[in-house]
Amino acid sequence: MEDKKVKKVIIIAMLISILLLSLTGIVSAQKSKLQTVLDRGYLLVGTGSANVPWHFIDEKGELVGFDIEMARILAIGLFNDPTKVKFVEQSPDARIPNLLTNKVDIVIQFMTITPGRGQLVAFSVPYYTEATALLIPADGKYKNYEEMVAAIKDGETITMATLLNIESNVLVQELLEGAVGTEYETVGLELQAINSGRADACSIDLSSALWLAKKEPEKYLLADRTAREMNNAAAMSPNDQVWINFVNLVFQDAMSGYTFKLYNDAYAKWFGGVELSEPKVGKPQIYR
Amino acid sequence: MVYYFSFRVVQSNIGHMLNGLGLGLFIGVISLFFGIILGLIVAFAAVSSNRAFNNIATWYTVFFRNIPLLLLAFIVYFGLPDVGIMMERKVSFIFTLSLYAGAYMAEIFRAGLQAIPKGIIEAGQVIGLTRFHICWNIQLPIMFRNVLPSMSNVLISLFKDTSLAASITVPELTYFARKLNVETFRVLEAWLSAAFLYIVTCYLMAYLLRKLEHKLRIE
Repeated sequence: MEDKKVKKVIIIAMLISILLLSLTGIVSAQKSKLQTVLDRGYLLVGTGSANVPWHFIDEKGELVGFDIEMARILAIGLFNDPTKVKFVEQSPDARIPNLLTNKVDIVIQFMTITPGRGQLVAFSVPYYTEATALLIPADGKYKNYEEMVAAIKDGETITMATLLNIESNVLVQELLEGAVGTEYETVGLELQAINSGRADACSIDLSSALWLAKKEPEKYLLADRTAREMNNAAAMSPNDQVWINFVNLVFQDAMSGYTFKLYNDAYAKWFGGVELSEPKVGKPQIYR
Repeated sequence: MVYYFSFRVVQSNIGHMLNGLGLGLFIGVISLFFGIILGLIVAFAAVSSNRAFNNIATWYTVFFRNIPLLLLAFIVYFGLPDVGIMMERKVSFIFTLSLYAGAYMAEIFRAGLQAIPKGIIEAGQVIGLTRFHICWNIQLPIMFRNVLPSMSNVLISLFKDTSLAASITVPELTYFARKLNVETFRVLEAWLSAAFLYIVTCYLMAYLLRKLEHKLRIE
């Protein structure tokens, strides 16, 4: 009789344990990245470290840039603290693998939105519209876009270093028809190419070109030519709508709402010289 | 996160990838050819009785065997133009890889030369062969037969090293895999396909070279 009672108790205890474990599993399975990040206490952001003015190491050895500011804006949205973010420096190749393997919560690394990429990741709302510009070495053969066009008409070969990216060869032709493009893995190698005379010009993000031409005018000139506007956004795993919604909310609010000052200050710091229009009363900015 | 494989992007770019593979093979073979020539010169310098030649051979092998190939490729591609030496990118990488291969071949050949029994060389001298004929008719044939397995390894290794040429925009296989990755974010598909092509090619190379070794072996 005693044995039967003990067995009954054991069976009931096992059933309760199984039930609790199952519930835990269900809760875990439903737990959003948002909750995971909040529980962890800091945000993990994948980004680069060699592209001005987006993400680069400054003279003090700190990782700075507009992508870094966007990450801090997200950290403020999560924890009301811009320091609650850790950065995982990664090459462009590693953006997707790091997202897939949960090494990072989000990638903020001046990523261009394309439909092809959208099949694999969820993009946030765009936080910057970029264009591609033409950067020329100050001591190079050509001093401006018109000279290069004339040179090509005369049968000269002009080599343009470009970043290994979506339709980079098409972009080369849009910037300078007839130029020969050579695709490099990083912007740093592109710049080495023009510095060493391997290329006569390079196609580079307009924001980076403006930065370089301003900071090192003895080395670089900005040609009066841009092409192909494109939107930059953050990338997230596509299966977590709660997290995606939250990130979009934070970014949208920073660009057009209550936290506009955060975005405005970051914009002025890294893309200086442009006044952003403040949100106006009435119909929300994003729908104007 | 669930990942859905789609090799469609690889399929539509397979032509580029195969062309890249072919270019990598070409670069590897040409670099080995020049590496053999360099290696022979350096190997003979290393076993020579001339002290100056010994030192030059030593410095050459120490330098090129201890510098990472990628660093060497950047020095040649980006650095030499600063001193007025501008080579086309493929030529630049072949030049780099040949210098690199030469150092490894020099060591292989040096060991191969030193392994030839002195008696065979003395026999050549006794029958009145000149230094050149001893080298051409006795030392080199024996040495090449002995070092063929090591040379095969170097060739396969050089072929894999051509993947570094992607960093200086040489359009070989790794370059196209990287391009595919960046354009489509199909990371796994791009790299797995490239890996598969490298493995198959290296395996075939090893198989053919082993056949050659068997054919040339003295029973």
